[in-house]
Amino acid sequence: MEGRSPWYLAYRRLRRNRVALAFGGLFVAIVVFCLAAPLWANEVAETTPNATHTTERVEVDGEAREVVNREGKPLGPLWFGAGGKFFLGADGRLGRDEMVRLMYGGRISLFVGIVSTLIATLLATVLGLIAGYYRGWADTVISRVMDVIWAFPVTLLAIALGLSLALGGLDLGPLQLSGNSLWVPILIIAFVYTPYMARPIRGEVLSLREKEFVEAAVSQGAGPLRVMFGELLPNMVSTLIVFFTLGVGQNMLLESTLSFLGVGVQPPNTSWGSMIGDGFELISTAPLLTVIPGTMILLTVLAINVFGDGLRDALDPKSKVRLEAHAGIAEPEGTAV
Amino acid sequence: MRKLHAALAVALLTMVAIGVSSCGGSSGKEGGTLTGSYASFPDYLDPALSYTAEGWTAMYNTYLPLLTYKHADGEEGAEVVPALAESLPEIGNGGKTYELTLRQGLKYSDGTPVKASDFASSVERMFKLNSPGSPFYTGIVGAEEFAAGKADSIAGIETDDKTGEITIDLTSPSGTFTNELAMLFVALLPPGTPAKNLTTEPPPATGPYEIVSSEPGRGWSYERNPQWAKANGDAIPEVPAGHVDKIEISLVRNSATQVNEIERDKTNWMQTIVPADLYNKVKDKYEGTQFRVERPINLYYFFMNTTQPPFDDVKVRQAVNYAVDTAALERIYSGALTAAHQILPEGMPGHEAFNLYPHDMAKAKALFKEANPSDREITVWTDNESPNDEAGAYFDDVLDKLGFDSTLKTLSADVYFTTIGNATTPDVDAGWTNWYQDYPHPNDFFQPLLAGESILPTNNTNVAETDVPELNEKITKLGEEQLGPEQEKEYAALDREYMELAPWVPYGTNTVSTFVDSEIELDEVIFNPTMGQDLTSFQFK
Repeated sequence: MEGRSPWYLAYRRLRRNRVALAFGGLFVAIVVFCLAAPLWANEVAETTPNATHTTERVEVDGEAREVVNREGKPLGPLWFGAGGKFFLGADGRLGRDEMVRLMYGGRISLFVGIVSTLIATLLATVLGLIAGYYRGWADTVISRVMDVIWAFPVTLLAIALGLSLALGGLDLGPLQLSGNSLWVPILIIAFVYTPYMARPIRGEVLSLREKEFVEAAVSQGAGPLRVMFGELLPNMVSTLIVFFTLGVGQNMLLESTLSFLGVGVQPPNTSWGSMIGDGFELISTAPLLTVIPGTMILLTVLAINVFGDGLRDALDPKSKVRLEAHAGIAEPEGTAV
Repeated sequence: MRKLHAALAVALLTMVAIGVSSCGGSSGKEGGTLTGSYASFPDYLDPALSYTAEGWTAMYNTYLPLLTYKHADGEEGAEVVPALAESLPEIGNGGKTYELTLRQGLKYSDGTPVKASDFASSVERMFKLNSPGSPFYTGIVGAEEFAAGKADSIAGIETDDKTGEITIDLTSPSGTFTNELAMLFVALLPPGTPAKNLTTEPPPATGPYEIVSSEPGRGWSYERNPQWAKANGDAIPEVPAGHVDKIEISLVRNSATQVNEIERDKTNWMQTIVPADLYNKVKDKYEGTQFRVERPINLYYFFMNTTQPPFDDVKVRQAVNYAVDTAALERIYSGALTAAHQILPEGMPGHEAFNLYPHDMAKAKALFKEANPSDREITVWTDNESPNDEAGAYFDDVLDKLGFDSTLKTLSADVYFTTIGNATTPDVDAGWTNWYQDYPHPNDFFQPLLAGESILPTNNTNVAETDVPELNEKITKLGEEQLGPEQEKEYAALDREYMELAPWVPYGTNTVSTFVDSEIELDEVIFNPTMGQDLTSFQFK
């Protein structure tokens, strides 16, 4: 019988999970949609995300229509009525192209979500490995610091940091950021979510370090760094991939909250969260300005979470069995996949 | 016969009385409780400290200064009239001495008699509190020494409690001091009023209403001042007694909820401006019956720092003036803004309409090309309150289109003015700002916003940092003269001279709104251009 690698087996299990694959496909489609922003902006809409068109007119079926009327009401969706210009209408009283901003805003939302999760995963992995492997004072110091951060409600802590950093920027020696830098929300989100990843990673390291393969590596003279990064880390990759995938959705939601409250992505840049904030004021007259970016956030987070769940089931089938056992629907071990 | 004559006389008198009362134009009811809503609590409910339209509206009829603004709309409301003083001041000594006499028999709402010396103690209390209004009164002889703790009293204020005479000596002539005596900062309070913020324990009042409770974060309420009917009302005919017996103000943070409560007749009046997205809907539905557009005197403008490149070049500033389109800004403010192109807004004495820079992007680009500024990387500042943030984003985009590499910086409205007004804040190249009149005198725009001596290291209001010696001299000279037709002409000329230098891009005056429920007589509601809605004018149908 031919031996199969765990990765191949995971791939086979994932391939069988049609729902997860469908949502994975949706996520890829959203990423492609956002990456196509410059193409749409240059070739179709012929504008940029921050260009204002307040007093301009656009020709729709031979009729010149104001982008923003004298009372400040923006143009609704034109679809292809003006050759793709103002496909989703104007974004508000500034008359910016909503579709172009949606695509560029998505790039920022995804970028912030992915990069902040990468940073949080990296930090959490290093801290979890050190705390779990060394234990003792290193574990005590790291765990207590994490506990302190954990003690604050995530959103409130992020808002407080966002408010102060949006005003004064960040000045930590060589790390200097102005208040409207995109890296400000990225670092805030990474900082507040690191403990939520570091804790379970530490737990897994504590469990793995007692395994025979670690003892074998140590007996062969492997040093702590080699054990941590050469033996323990590869055995946690599947866990990290799942954490990362689910973290992206969670971090995108936090970014949206911060930007909606005006302490995340700073204008004139936009993200889906700040687009909801901008559109909220016009919700009674132009509800689509809130509904469209809100739907994009919903779809993206849903897609990434369902795909992340599927990935977790594929990479760690025992976890699914454990979950189902809790729910009282466990199948006999060995027939779960 | 005599009985018949008496009965006829009574009937005639009754008819005359009814006729007189209906001649007043008011057919509404007397009494009742007026309910109102604010979106946020005023900065202070202490007359010596409040420096916001919300606070002044709340205390206009509670704490009276020696002088006040006429209880009228529009230009008529800009007239200074006596309040606690018998008449307007007699100005002598070349404009350096102001003499007034306190009306006789006045009492605070707790029954304490009002004395002339209360004026001195109230001014001193304001200085002790380091009130934002204190700069208006540093021209009184000895005020700066008192503020610095070098004197026990202000030497330039002499009072006589027996005769009620008050004499104020100034260090230099002032043409604006009459207006400054009508500001709430120097409203009279009883002797011994503690020099601390009394927002939660409002001091006794002299006006027709007294504040009987105040809970920051929740609201406050008024009742009729018991001394108004007994003493003050007859003595001060310039201030109306008011129609309602009680006023209850609550905080409703969401202005859309405020609108909803008015529409459902749950609240009689909202002090807050109707929000932009509901503005036109409310205006279309209720204008003339429950809604009215009001025009306080203010100016919204973009400033450019005239001391640093690239805006130290007048051609660059003129190019920016040509590039900004006020029609776009009218749309951004949802039609609530009236375009303006000069320093003095409409309604301000000295205003003569002109527009030196009609929108012309081609001309703007040609001027910009001619100036060819070497430094094109600029930072544009704005606050985060809608639609000012959008105005800032528009300005940022216009500057980019003109050829700058502009970065927009949006700050919380809570810290915006202190940040751009601080000399240590880097890169304050250009940005959004506004100014609401302290009093209807053109000096109130030129002196704090354009005079060189107003450039301060902190709380700087001259954010364009204009410092033109010959124009500074004109501001000082005009500020020392009493305002008359000749001075108004000179202010109009000064307006044009500044706009030729183009330190600002004035773009409009913002309107506010009065929105009342169906139970209130809208036609009776007075909006004073300085103090806002006059609570004595609210009347139930």
